[in-house]
Amino acid sequence: MRWHMRLLAAGAVAAVTVTAAACSGGQVRGAADSAPQSGSSAGAAGGTADDTFTYVPNLDVVTDWDPASSYSNENIAMENIYESLTRYNPQTKKAEPRLASSWTSSPDGKKWTFTLREGAKFHTGKPVDAAAAKASIERTMKEGQGAAYIWGAVKKIEAKDATTLEFTLKYPAPLDLIASAGYASYVYDTTAASGDLKKWFGEGHDAGSGPYTIDTWQKGKETELTLKAFDDYWGGWDGAHYKKIAYRVTPELTTAWQLLQRGEVSFVQRLNAQLFAQAGSTDTVQTSQTPSFQNLLVLFNTADGPLKDVKLRQALQKAIDYDGLVAALKGAGVAASGLVPEGLLGNIPGMTPKQDLAGAEALLKEAGYGPGGKPLDLTLTYAQGDADQELLVTLLSSALDKLNVKLSAKPLQWTTQWDQGKAKDPSKRQDIFVMYWFPDYADAYSWFINVFHGEKDVQFNLSYLKDAAIDKEIDELPALTATDQAAAEKAYADLQNKIINEQAAVAVPYVQNYQRAYSKSVQGYVDNPAYPNVVFVYDLKPGA
Amino acid sequence: MPRYLIRRLGQAVLVVAGVIVLTFAIMRLVPGDPAVAYAGPKATAAELADARRRFGLDDPLPVQLWNYVRDLLGGDWGTSLHTRQPVRDDLFQAFPASLELVGAALIIALVAGIPLGIAAARYKGRLPDLSVRLSSMLAVSVPVFWLALALQTVFASGLGWFPVAGEYDASLDRTSPLHLYTNITAVDALITGNWPILTSTLAHLVLPALVIAAYPAGVVAQMTRAALIEESSRDHARLERALGFGETAVLTRFALRPALNPVLSLIALVFAYSIVNGFLVEAVFNWPGLGRYAADSIRSLDTPAIAGVTLLVAVLYVVANLAVDLLQGVVDPRVRAR
Repeated sequence: MRWHMRLLAAGAVAAVTVTAAACSGGQVRGAADSAPQSGSSAGAAGGTADDTFTYVPNLDVVTDWDPASSYSNENIAMENIYESLTRYNPQTKKAEPRLASSWTSSPDGKKWTFTLREGAKFHTGKPVDAAAAKASIERTMKEGQGAAYIWGAVKKIEAKDATTLEFTLKYPAPLDLIASAGYASYVYDTTAASGDLKKWFGEGHDAGSGPYTIDTWQKGKETELTLKAFDDYWGGWDGAHYKKIAYRVTPELTTAWQLLQRGEVSFVQRLNAQLFAQAGSTDTVQTSQTPSFQNLLVLFNTADGPLKDVKLRQALQKAIDYDGLVAALKGAGVAASGLVPEGLLGNIPGMTPKQDLAGAEALLKEAGYGPGGKPLDLTLTYAQGDADQELLVTLLSSALDKLNVKLSAKPLQWTTQWDQGKAKDPSKRQDIFVMYWFPDYADAYSWFINVFHGEKDVQFNLSYLKDAAIDKEIDELPALTATDQAAAEKAYADLQNKIINEQAAVAVPYVQNYQRAYSKSVQGYVDNPAYPNVVFVYDLKPGA
Repeated sequence: MPRYLIRRLGQAVLVVAGVIVLTFAIMRLVPGDPAVAYAGPKATAAELADARRRFGLDDPLPVQLWNYVRDLLGGDWGTSLHTRQPVRDDLFQAFPASLELVGAALIIALVAGIPLGIAAARYKGRLPDLSVRLSSMLAVSVPVFWLALALQTVFASGLGWFPVAGEYDASLDRTSPLHLYTNITAVDALITGNWPILTSTLAHLVLPALVIAAYPAGVVAQMTRAALIEESSRDHARLERALGFGETAVLTRFALRPALNPVLSLIALVFAYSIVNGFLVEAVFNWPGLGRYAADSIRSLDTPAIAGVTLLVAVLYVVANLAVDLLQGVVDPRVRAR
């Protein structure tokens, strides 16, 4: 009898858990549970393996479906569903037409007029006109979440006629670049929902005008999201295009690689160095390596502690083994040239730093430190769990050790590291702060205004640089970028010289590389670092 | 019996209360500001203040603890910082998949472990016994993460016998939409006769379930062997042999039933253990269960989600223990008297 009871015990536990799980009675998973969008393609929806592009991200795709506040990984899908007025081209370093076919700006850079392309439609069936574009950008500005701050310069938006959209700015700004941002720049149908639009978006609906529209969304599932072709897309569907996109979330890199090797997926967002090398020598797979717009910054405390002395900061810059670090990264990073990565206005070739231990020793000696001098103890904080930053710290510690400098490096969670960096009491702050930086739109201004402009309360100026002349020059950058790009280029070069060489507030060891692996059958893929991890699937051709 | 029941229930409630306080402490002791984790690294001061207000982070700690307990009891397990969804909804989404995987693993463990235990007991001290003891020791001690990667590399990626990862072929969602009743894919596919999804799910289940089954199968085999050897040395076994029953018949017809008592008790406890043991396996096979949810939560320092997973697993342990204890109490008066 007892064994029956034990079996019952096990059964009881199972019953409790099954009951707990049984919370979705009557729902349907799959085609029937997706809300069909008006104008979406019935024909295209029935995708076959050949016309489906399967993207493998490492993290869940969707956090926020609202195009006004979306500010996370979902950009990899949103950029295929929504469109902005312009799109950035890193080759030309300029914004190019997207929903706007052309634009002009006033000589003072404070008035911008965009002409919208005709014939574009939202997935809701309504036309994309100037009034709709105005309504969506105004809603994004009003919501004020995520990257909505990019529209901070906008004073007024007017829809002059169906295709003419005019922006009046509070101060000159490169609105064509701002309008190409990867977040908060989308044009969408604000009248799509009869009730609460945010709630409607949150249920997995979209109101974009891009080539694809949401087909299915299953939070937490392996294939979290599928998109299908939008029949009425203004670009048309002539020629070979993928008709469906599937986002198959795969956190484990080894698993992602095996799926690609087996031909089950089309594109893997990220692999480690070993797997990337293996991908490079696999017949059925192709790889791409492109410098991103994200670089590593080693910020020196210019305000307090021993590094207040500029000579010591310059010595530290020289102590970093830049070449050794890039070599050890095995392709995951590329040597930096200045603060601004390649592909952005303001990038200065020929500013790649080199290790110079003799120079570092001489500078340390001038300051009374170095071998035979006073010992120097420095504190450094960096991101916990980031192997690349750990590599930098190891190489730097070892180089400084020879120079009689002891580096106490602490790996910390970002929030802890940042809190320490922002400490009200300067004595609690670190001497060296290591972090990545990337812009929210393709404009180098982001580095200067956020990281090196004087702040009343510290946010990201974690070198604590306070220089009125530098601040003034930074404040002039938006106007110059909007009105005179040659002058802007010169201003960027001058600022980088002041911040890196004269003030020695920062060292830039490398720019991160995007290392992608994708199926041989995918044709036409080009990585655009202005849109991190985004694949513009409409631009691709499915091959054999 | 009522006193015993009340005592055990009281103990279970105390344990759960302790776990609630611990999970709260974890959430508050983990370095970093949850408001920053929610609002993002580039959030403005106003956005951070808004996030702090939203999560009640400005309240004194005792008030925060009280609010946490009150919300938990009211069914509000907080909002995940990385999915932005209620943690309870996320857990309801992820847990059935883990249950499916662990359920399959336990079936494999019983189906494989019991016959292996019988074979080892039948040929005690001989080659089959040694083989079973060695393999069960290996199954118990091998790290699941390594075993998962090895099976995936050989049988999925190399030989192509099984799918590499996932719960089922997602393209079937379009051709064979699944009606959900329990949210457990294999069960729902079986109930509704959705054969394409059922066969695809079973194929995807094999490798991860085998990996999770390794530990319980090893334990079950060893325990069955030991219990059978003990039972077969009792008086009733001598009588059965004297009556002319062969050794195999003595073991399977007479000794097995009493020998399975401790094995079946064990299974209820191993169930909760396997849920946690399966976390790494879910990561390797991309199984959309609690493990993947927990891993994502840890990666993004999503303290409400981490606390939710911790609490759920703790409650599972408590429920499993309580169920076994209570039912043992029903059938064995000595347990109640302790």
